[in-house]
Amino acid sequence: MPERTSTAVLDLDARPSSWGVAVLDVVGHRSILMALARTDFQARYRRAVFGVLWAAAVPLVQAAIVAAVFSHVVRTSSVPGPYGIFALSGVIAWSYFAVGLGTGATAVVDGAELSDRVWFPRAMLPVVPLISGLVGLGISLGCLLVAMPIFGAAPGPSVLLLIPAVVLLVLLTGALALILAAAHVYFRDVRYLVQAALLVWFYATPVLYPAQLLGRYRPLLDINPLTGVIELFHAAALGWEPAMLAPVAVSVATLVVGLLVAAEVYRRYDRLFADRL
Amino acid sequence: MTDTILIEGLGKRYVKYVDQPTLVGSLLPFRRSRPSPLWALRGLDLRVEKGQTIGVIGRNGSGKTTLLKLLSGVTRPSEGRLRVMGRIAPLIGVGVGFRRELTGRDNVYLNGLLLGMERRRLDRRFDDIVAFAELQDFIDTPVKFYSSGMFLRLGFAIAIHSEPEVFLLDEILAVGDLAFQSKCFERLRMVQGSGTTIVVVSHSMNAIRGMCSRVVLLRRGLVDMIGDTEDVIARYHELLSVEGDADEETARSGGERMYVGGAVIEESRLFGPDGPVNYADGGEQLELRVRLRFEQAVDSPLVGMQIFNEEGVLAYACHSFLGLRHRRYDAGETAKVFIRFVPRLGGGTYRVFCLVATADGRGSLAVQPRGVSLFVAPRLGSRGVADLQGSIEVDGRVMPVG
Repeated sequence: MPERTSTAVLDLDARPSSWGVAVLDVVGHRSILMALARTDFQARYRRAVFGVLWAAAVPLVQAAIVAAVFSHVVRTSSVPGPYGIFALSGVIAWSYFAVGLGTGATAVVDGAELSDRVWFPRAMLPVVPLISGLVGLGISLGCLLVAMPIFGAAPGPSVLLLIPAVVLLVLLTGALALILAAAHVYFRDVRYLVQAALLVWFYATPVLYPAQLLGRYRPLLDINPLTGVIELFHAAALGWEPAMLAPVAVSVATLVVGLLVAAEVYRRYDRLFADRL
Repeated sequence: MTDTILIEGLGKRYVKYVDQPTLVGSLLPFRRSRPSPLWALRGLDLRVEKGQTIGVIGRNGSGKTTLLKLLSGVTRPSEGRLRVMGRIAPLIGVGVGFRRELTGRDNVYLNGLLLGMERRRLDRRFDDIVAFAELQDFIDTPVKFYSSGMFLRLGFAIAIHSEPEVFLLDEILAVGDLAFQSKCFERLRMVQGSGTTIVVVSHSMNAIRGMCSRVVLLRRGLVDMIGDTEDVIARYHELLSVEGDADEETARSGGERMYVGGAVIEESRLFGPDGPVNYADGGEQLELRVRLRFEQAVDSPLVGMQIFNEEGVLAYACHSFLGLRHRRYDAGETAKVFIRFVPRLGGGTYRVFCLVATADGRGSLAVQPRGVSLFVAPRLGSRGVADLQGSIEVDGRVMPVG
């Protein structure tokens, strides 16, 4: 028989959970997050013929195609290195962001059945695809590192920028996915708005073209919180430029504000989502 | 004894929207969908002692599901306070969280974690769970290849092994075959005896009687009564016979018969050997006593009775001989109808309706929106709408049924 406890495990009234309780709830349910991420990954790739390799193959193929096409469109001379590496590093980051945001933004509604009878912090649901996507991201980045010397861009010390780049990418995607997933519970058109926004966003972000291509309009790109993330990936592959500091600062600021907003939203609304699912 | 569940002034208000709001729509100045608030549950005070099994009954929409959602922590109260001293887990219906692409093994772990089990405990209990579900040979097969019975068995096996301090039972479902069912019930008794607190929500008075000593009756979101099982069930049947049910509206009028009017059922009650009853315990004869008043002249009305079970299935019907000439009633006259019958029905709740029709049986003279409720005690070892009083003999030896 399980050990019996006398303290209240569940103590609810009309007020939102306190910060302490909210944090303890998340910590206490962390094993569920990992289990969900693992099963999410297995469900996606286990029965596919090439298994885990698909996780990396999709962005790589995508990068190869767009690089081939865009190298004819973009004045690649403004890229500080081989264009293939520039495009690949950008596309790897972008595809993680797009998949993570696309699935994360609908995760609370899509996972409604999962938390219909048992409660765990809903904030975990949008985070699940971000964690399971890390495997694919890791393999893709490994491919990038292999491809760099082949294309004549031997990895230098700037490769270490991949670490803050990945952290910033994952956390920023997470913050946005959390906020959108909460909004999606109340407004079901968020699903389509996100899909549409991602299409526009892709071209509004210097993924496949260097930011300096815009000349004096470049500050407009810097407002885009994703520019900094993508620039960090470019920097890791082809070297840091001082002009990247402004967009990175914007990204970090967005991340901090986004995470605070997300935390407050989930603290207040977590158990109220069920009323609208 | 210490209280495991403490509920004070608990209330839940839902806001229903006519249509699903959209982000685009809410930013526009027009076409705002109108919210209409509704209290699904209000003013509930309840304490459940450790180890007690409490039943929750009430008609659809009375707030039972809302109470379950609040207890499981899935939703937050709108007022009042709810405290549960211990881990709480649903016992049935958790199989819905299964991932179809994953194997039985992976689903045991995922589901177990969702139910609040720790990984180490899952490792320890894994073999028991698989053995209980009788799925040793299929545990590494993706559950999408499982039959619905295997699915339910696995779900129940995980849930019953999750060993929380409080179990929530939403309808005691028929899980798998008979042998598995009895195994489940046996296990449930063990759980009951082990100091686990259980909250049972059910439409089945059999289940409530069988498990609970104390019952809460909810009615339109408010507590109608809390008390001993028999008293509360009696009150529930009283409510049913006064209020009727929306889905019984179709059953009551006698199917395809057209309503023409002309008579009123002033009173209808069930009587047993010792007076009015609303339940039948054994094979004793019951009598449906009806007083009719005719509002216009009627020649030789046809009378009868229909009994429907909880699902609205006709369990029994009888009526007087079609076209029989017996007497003519004038407007304002009354008639006393006694319909005697032996309720050889399977255990469950039934609704008994009196039927009054024209001599040719084509037109219904009176509708009885309420009907009379009848609870039939179950006979151990038998199920179904009828009690055919089967007996079993093996090699000349009469086997006890049950």
